[in-house]
Amino acid sequence: MLDCLSLILVVAVKVFKKTTPNGKVTVYLGKRDFIDHVDYCDPIDGVVVVDTEYLKGRKVYSQLVTTYRFGREEDEVMGVKFTKEMVIGQEQVVPLINSKMELTPVQEKLLKKLGPNAFPFTFNFPEMSPSSVTLQPAEEDQGKPMGVEYCVRTYVAESEDQKSHKRSSVTLAIKKLQHAPASRGRRLPSSLVSKGFTFSNGKISLEVTLDKEIYYHGEKIAANLIVSNNSRKSVRNIRCMVVQHVEITMINSQFSRHVASLESREGCPVTPGASLSKTFYLVPLARSNKDIRGVALDGHLKEDDVNLASSTLVCDGKCPADAIGIVVSYSVRVKLNCGTLGGELVTDVPFKLLHPAEGSTERQRFNAMKKMQSIERHRYENSLYANEEEDNIVFEDFARLRMNEPE
Amino acid sequence: MAANYSDDIGPMGYPMKLVSSEIVEHMLGWNIPEEHQEMVHEHWRNYPAVNKYWHFCLGFIYSLLMIISLIGNGTVIWIFSTSKSLRSASNMFVINLALFDLTMMLEMPLLIINSFYQYPVGFQLGCDIYGIIGSLSGIGGAITNAVIAFDRYKTISCPLDGRINKVQAYLLILFTWIWAMPFTVLPAIRVWGRYVPEGFLTTCSFDYFTDDQDTKVFVGAIFIWSYGIPMSLICFFYSQLFGAVRLHEKMLQEQAKKMNVKSLASNKEDANKSVEIRIAKVAFTIFFMFVCSWTPYAFVALTGAYGDRSLLTPHATMIPAVCAKVVSCIDPWVYAINHPRYRAELEKRIPWLGVREQDPDTASERASVATAQSHTPNAEA
Repeated sequence: MLDCLSLILVVAVKVFKKTTPNGKVTVYLGKRDFIDHVDYCDPIDGVVVVDTEYLKGRKVYSQLVTTYRFGREEDEVMGVKFTKEMVIGQEQVVPLINSKMELTPVQEKLLKKLGPNAFPFTFNFPEMSPSSVTLQPAEEDQGKPMGVEYCVRTYVAESEDQKSHKRSSVTLAIKKLQHAPASRGRRLPSSLVSKGFTFSNGKISLEVTLDKEIYYHGEKIAANLIVSNNSRKSVRNIRCMVVQHVEITMINSQFSRHVASLESREGCPVTPGASLSKTFYLVPLARSNKDIRGVALDGHLKEDDVNLASSTLVCDGKCPADAIGIVVSYSVRVKLNCGTLGGELVTDVPFKLLHPAEGSTERQRFNAMKKMQSIERHRYENSLYANEEEDNIVFEDFARLRMNEPE
Repeated sequence: MAANYSDDIGPMGYPMKLVSSEIVEHMLGWNIPEEHQEMVHEHWRNYPAVNKYWHFCLGFIYSLLMIISLIGNGTVIWIFSTSKSLRSASNMFVINLALFDLTMMLEMPLLIINSFYQYPVGFQLGCDIYGIIGSLSGIGGAITNAVIAFDRYKTISCPLDGRINKVQAYLLILFTWIWAMPFTVLPAIRVWGRYVPEGFLTTCSFDYFTDDQDTKVFVGAIFIWSYGIPMSLICFFYSQLFGAVRLHEKMLQEQAKKMNVKSLASNKEDANKSVEIRIAKVAFTIFFMFVCSWTPYAFVALTGAYGDRSLLTPHATMIPAVCAKVVSCIDPWVYAINHPRYRAELEKRIPWLGVREQDPDTASERASVATAQSHTPNAEA
């Protein structure tokens, strides 16, 4: 009996659904996170169930919409809007136009279960579309946070251009995320810099090497430092930090935030002629940066799955400068303080911070960890939706887009 | 000179005489006593005394303006300073402007009294007070307009970290008051320039008639300080702001192109155009208001100092004063009523006013939905 239950738990497909305020149209999506594998991207596959009598000749359209928000709502003056909505996909869902459409397994299952009033739709993200990113708002900020968002909007209308009504349209927020490639590579990023002084001979040199090129969220970063002092100055202290670089391409501006930092005097001062070898360990985490405004997070729909934004990956043929939306990158920055007159010696070593690739062993471990946290919740939900489980489909009501969304 | 005011009843008896019998034809300034005659420039004495109905008419206009200004600016200060959602650095400048406008409003009761007596009550002292209020509020209001333009330019051109913080805002507000000081205080203490009656001799302003180097330089300097510089700043910041918005729109369009946003492509262009047009409209309104309020004054002062004085009849010189006051009454409408959160707050506090404004949070959501569908914001509202 216990085995049987766990079997159901494993096989059950979880599906998200949301209904229009008037209750006539319901949209089902197989998932909310869509992974960009750099060379291809998961399609958005869903099913719309509609009361055909209600339509009376009208049609149901679905759109894939991306919203850029690059300024605070409260700062909008003179009719300037700091948001831009772009419809990057539009489809007529009911009546079905392309009846020979290839269906994904989830769609097939849903169509079978939901009967003749169910119609499938599929969207593909445009090749260059940016990842979902949210910039952490400050406590006093009102309105929606800045970032890049995606949603699937379904509405009933006479024709494509006609405006929709609130009561017969429904919006499901989704995320587009990037995961690390299957192999992490063997290259160890490093940087070697040295600094001379105006009024004295000799140099201080600093070599920083990281133990990996790609880190997964939550992993510890080890930075190896080798300081050799051939000058007459001495190194007073060492600061080591993880810097998140955020570039907002739509307004051509960029900023950085320190998401983890460490200061040490251990082994200091490094006197003339001496050298120091040392390893710093840093863990950049979203939860240790909750108060810092502007820290980029992976677009989040629910409170519990917040993590720092993943590094933006660009496929081989493209230049990183071509990336659009909000471009995130990371580096480890080491600063040597050479006294008041000596100034600072600074170097940056870039690395990538991502989620493990789907199917890799790391991924399984990562998922297992997450599952541990939410297993209780799953049990509870499964008991709630037990009556719908005959077909091994678990329906989860789509979380309301935002707390203040009007009914 | 004395003949102009040789009537035996003297100035104090004048209101009595108003009701008792007809008036002999007098020249302007006849009712100002001998010891204060030097206040009035000869130029004005060449014109006949202004009909009492003109005085009453002006007094009536000013009473209306006073009520409008009190209500408009008073509400702005009340709501902006007491509601949490409006307590931002940018809104502090709007409050500051309303303060200057309210200061200007203080002139109005003085004028109403003066109009009744048909001469500047309090003579030199009254004139100085009137002049100080006018200079302070006029110059301060002008430079606050420029500061608001600067703040808007900063917030719009770099929406992430360009915003002025509270401390900077306080400093800028202090700056506006300091800016207004030199040309307010110097004439009052007679160091440079002085306040004299003008037009109907019931309003006072700085002296632009005296034929000496000092006065001419003073008029030139105050023209540049309180008109030229604020106006160039306003033009500069709004044109920069416009450029920044165009740049953002262009970059967004490029990104849209990269993602092959083809649906609604034609509509999109329309929508983009409308953002720019909307901004141009607002910027132009503010610029136009500034021009309306201060160009007449600048014209009168410059003509008085350097040009053909015969143009400056008492009636003509009252126009600029009224213009400046009218604009100070319109200011709250331009800066505050356009503010969706202000309107929402207004509706909450004074529901019987019938301001039908939705909560900005939901309003924007609806607007953005509408934008996507038909590209006419608030189409549903």
